[in-house]
Amino acid sequence: MSSVHKEGMGLRQVLMRGALSLLLSGGVALLAYNADYTLPQILSCAVFTMTVLATLLFWEFRLAVAFLGIATLFGCNVLTLDRFVESCELPVILFLAGMMVIVGALKELGFFSWIIELIVSRRRMTGLAFSLIVMVLSALLACAVDEVTSIVFVCALVFQVCDTLRVPPTPFLIMAVMATNIGSAGTMIGNPGGLLISHRAGFTFEDFLVWAFPVMVACLVSAVGVLLLWFRRDIRALSDALEERRKQKLDLGPLVKVPYHRGLVIFVVTLGVIAFHHRAESLLGLEQNTLLMTAPLAIAGVLMVWRRERAKHYIEVEVDWWELLYFMMLFAKAGALEHTGVAARIATDFASTFETVPELLLPVIIGVSAIGSAFVDNVVFVAAFVPVVRELSSTPLWWALLLGACLGGNVTLIGSAANIIAVGVLEKRHRRGIDFMEWLKVGVVVGLVTCLVAWIALSQMADRMPEHPAHPHDGWGAWPAEDGRSEADH
Amino acid sequence: MADSTNGTSFASLFTCYQVLCHTPLTDRDELIREMVRALGPALEHGEVDDVVQAVLEREAQLPSVMAPGIALPHARLRGLSRLVVAVATSGKGVRFSDEDDGLARLIILVLAPHDSPAAYLQAVASLARILKTPGSADTVAELDTAEGVWRFFERGGLVLADYVCAGDIMRDEFISVRSDDTCEKAIDLFARHQLADLPVIDAQGKLVGLVTADALLRVCLPDYILWMEDLSPIINFEPFAEFLRNEGKTWLADIMSDDYVMVDEKAPAIEVAKGMCKRGVRQVLVVRGEELVGVIAIEDFIARVLRE
Repeated sequence: MSSVHKEGMGLRQVLMRGALSLLLSGGVALLAYNADYTLPQILSCAVFTMTVLATLLFWEFRLAVAFLGIATLFGCNVLTLDRFVESCELPVILFLAGMMVIVGALKELGFFSWIIELIVSRRRMTGLAFSLIVMVLSALLACAVDEVTSIVFVCALVFQVCDTLRVPPTPFLIMAVMATNIGSAGTMIGNPGGLLISHRAGFTFEDFLVWAFPVMVACLVSAVGVLLLWFRRDIRALSDALEERRKQKLDLGPLVKVPYHRGLVIFVVTLGVIAFHHRAESLLGLEQNTLLMTAPLAIAGVLMVWRRERAKHYIEVEVDWWELLYFMMLFAKAGALEHTGVAARIATDFASTFETVPELLLPVIIGVSAIGSAFVDNVVFVAAFVPVVRELSSTPLWWALLLGACLGGNVTLIGSAANIIAVGVLEKRHRRGIDFMEWLKVGVVVGLVTCLVAWIALSQMADRMPEHPAHPHDGWGAWPAEDGRSEADH
Repeated sequence: MADSTNGTSFASLFTCYQVLCHTPLTDRDELIREMVRALGPALEHGEVDDVVQAVLEREAQLPSVMAPGIALPHARLRGLSRLVVAVATSGKGVRFSDEDDGLARLIILVLAPHDSPAAYLQAVASLARILKTPGSADTVAELDTAEGVWRFFERGGLVLADYVCAGDIMRDEFISVRSDDTCEKAIDLFARHQLADLPVIDAQGKLVGLVTADALLRVCLPDYILWMEDLSPIINFEPFAEFLRNEGKTWLADIMSDDYVMVDEKAPAIEVAKGMCKRGVRQVLVVRGEELVGVIAIEDFIARVLRE
């Protein structure tokens, strides 16, 4: 399956995959037609399905397919320019761009080098300690910056230690990736899906700290237990290699005096502003999440003035415009699902199915989002399901969606951006990837255990959760879509 | 256009008239001129002076002593359509290089078409198979008649190889290190011989890895140090100082890579070019079974295939 993401697909493969995508999208359209969906609803379903399939079958063309899908929606009058601007979640995109600039500056200022040196310089390191450090660091970095940044830097740490000791890095990469995916559910900035949920559900950073972070910690603890047991032989081999290296009085890497202070200050200020955005917004009388969304931009702006000779580099290289444009198209298509009334109809079906046993909705949402995001990027799945959960108007379901999508990303090696990045780095560095089945075996176990923990934790906390407005801000992609009918139908 | 040499016997490339048996000439340039003249119509439209000039120019670049007592002066000529050969034997020997073994008793002049990269190499590869046997030059040089010399090659059943093998163009004298050597030795070799890569072998000569100068640098400058824009912490090569302190106890096994391109010595030489292009390496390692028997650097490849 890793070949899905490799370049250089043959013409025959392209044609076969293209035919499969068209067939499946057509199948979805046919199903929608049989279920008496309107034409705009059928089109938005088919285009969204095509976008999802593109991430699976045409990884390197996914943005191109996303562009074509948006053009189709415009051409068929399912989407208008105004609606596109409203539903492409520009605040989320700008937040991510700002964070990418900050992360780029932090990297250059030695902040991440300092963290890695702190670990590499530990004198009494053991395999167990290293595994725990890798997993906790991955989860916390994912919480504090984002999953992609976290895995990039933790990968560097894993390769530094494993390559120096000549032990296979794969088990430790898998540990890092799984902890990163779990950690990304801990805060709203952990992954773009969390950011989208916070934006659409009106959650603050503190809401995440209260309701998502503890569940994330519980999931992480259970996953750590599973992974330590699963990879016990590799951990023991690492301990032996560390002991051998210690006998030779050799370090795990060169140690230099990293000037980390400026980076640390920027990191603390950024995290501080994001963490206390809600209180500051209340104090300043600002609209909810205004400070949250603008803080990274403001800090990025300051950094670009301070390090003006690097400003262009930050914008042109550090900001992943490919991903951001893809997210914009994706969010706009999810918006089309919402305003055409598809989301409302699915939500109604969900609600009526579980009318008699509403407590089942929680595990169902966790399960569905976990299974879905095991095979497509979790952001794609969250984007698809946000309108549905919005219609269901139940706070615990938002957290179920977030956790299910993040935890499900661990099941397969294509489940999230972090997995794909780690496998890519491994292939580039060692010219060998990770076997799909090798990942799946441990992924299914970790996925099941963590989803179970998340379900238990959320069901215990559900009664204490306050109701959040499903439409926090007018004009932020919130369209009337009552009774399964949309504006477009009128 | 591919060179078709299937089953072409080496003896068919010349006749008894192109054999100068026991030549009295001792001057290299004069002998080459005589051999070119002996080719006569086989030269097609080539002028003797031009051909001699081309052979001597090639000889000036690198003496063509192939094995003790054997010289293979050669050139690639525009206008020539096929491989042509002249042979000379000398009782006293003709000096082709200043080295101790530079006195040749068997001289084989090979002229190949300019646009046929493989022709000369195929001829050399075929000759190497019998003439590398110790004493073979003397055996041929002591034959009394031109016909006897021609028959030597005819009876030997020497046939031009269908293609040039990696083993035909490899350098069989190369520098390697052992996996239980230290970085100190590798650095010495890199510095002294200006190498980019060093193959690593075990006690039995089996190829086990490759140490690159880049890998040595990356030990001192791992990713996490290169991320920093501010070079002040490493401006005086601080990571290198630590490395130097430990170079005597850092085994090459710890930094060698198993990411290298290797081909079997019998593999077509074009495999070497393919490996270099596809993997972006500048050196291909040649093995016999698991034993490292030679290396082919990109410079050698270009020189041998496009110029020799």
